[in-house]
Amino acid sequence: MLSLGGMQPRQLATQLLNFALVLSTAFMLWKGLSVVTDSPSPIVVVLSGSMEPAFQRGDLLFLWNRGMDTKIGEIVVYNVKGKDIPIVHRVVRRFGGGDSPLRLLTKGDNNMADDTELYARGQSYLNRAEDVIGSVVGFIPYVGYVTILLSEYPWLKQAMLGIMGLMVVLQRE
Amino acid sequence: MSSATTKIAVHSLADLKNTTDDALPNYLHSLKFRQLHTKTDIRLLLGYSAVLIAGVLFYFDWKFGWSVTKPYTLPAVVAYFLLNGCFTVWVFWVEKGLVYEGENGQGEKISIRSHTNKHDPTYHLIVTITPSPPSTSQKSTTLNISSPFTKWFTADGYFTAKPFQQFLASSVPLIGAADPNNDVEEIGRGSGQNQQGGGIQGFNVSGNNALEILEQLKRAGANVTVGGQPVGGGQAGRRRK
Repeated sequence: MLSLGGMQPRQLATQLLNFALVLSTAFMLWKGLSVVTDSPSPIVVVLSGSMEPAFQRGDLLFLWNRGMDTKIGEIVVYNVKGKDIPIVHRVVRRFGGGDSPLRLLTKGDNNMADDTELYARGQSYLNRAEDVIGSVVGFIPYVGYVTILLSEYPWLKQAMLGIMGLMVVLQRE
Repeated sequence: MSSATTKIAVHSLADLKNTTDDALPNYLHSLKFRQLHTKTDIRLLLGYSAVLIAGVLFYFDWKFGWSVTKPYTLPAVVAYFLLNGCFTVWVFWVEKGLVYEGENGQGEKISIRSHTNKHDPTYHLIVTITPSPPSTSQKSTTLNISSPFTKWFTADGYFTAKPFQQFLASSVPLIGAADPNNDVEEIGRGSGQNQQGGGIQGFNVSGNNALEILEQLKRAGANVTVGGQPVGGGQAGRRRK
């Protein structure tokens, strides 16, 4: 441990750089994965139980957004305009495709009805190209539960970031 | 800087090394060496330009969203990892643990790299001296020197400048020339490497060379009382056999 006050400007700049590089590398890896999968959010966490028993709350899903000809039975993640939370549901019907834009109807395995009520007002289907951010190609059970905790208790996020930052700045191992 | 007054944990190798690294520029500065920051500045430039790219992408992504930033993301990611790669190469293959680079009034350059080996409290230095002007006849010389940290750290964790300066001045001719007062002869205190098991035990104690041993002890500054039996040669000799 050492005190920040006694540091030369270049030494301080070097320590800060180490911290900034950790954060920026994580961010750029994420962005690199986005480019490869062509999805704005290539890894998502299941937030609700609407797809049980296939997925539980906290499962980590890997998405792939390069196969645009989505078939019935595929599980897709979509964003509804005006709502921030991505939804993971299964495709139960498809319209169009080929020359006309592909449209999809989805439903949660554990839900009684299809998703028309979840869509934006006046929308009765998903546009494959615009609304869907990817199809699920793999998952790891439970490991995403940490992020559910973090989003339910926002102060945890700040605390974690603060501790990480302090550690990187203060230690010179 | 802080090194003279801060107490460190003597069993932390990182603390020992960092404090000593920090003391190096101060000492050389006092000998009228001028520190050259070129290598550090290039490292900072490479690192911060990478961070800047990531920062700008983050800002635009947060402000305008994926659909707008999508075409710029791939070039930004590629540029970022190129710069980050250069940074890594620079730190590990060019700087290689550089702690000081500077020149004296005559334009002679000195660069000092330090490292420690795991779980071994020895300070290793690689010192390169380049004469001025760098001609083909006089090439730069490289010295590999090392010394245990115990030489300049007290048992309770305070750095003492004098022995450290003596270590540098007596092992690096360029520093010794700038600071002749600290260019002293090695007396072997504290360095357990060249004499296995430390100073006195290295002697073959027997009745014949007892006087010589006492002389050595006196020179090493040990507090010995002669008289009676305690330092009696014959007994000590028997015990060793």
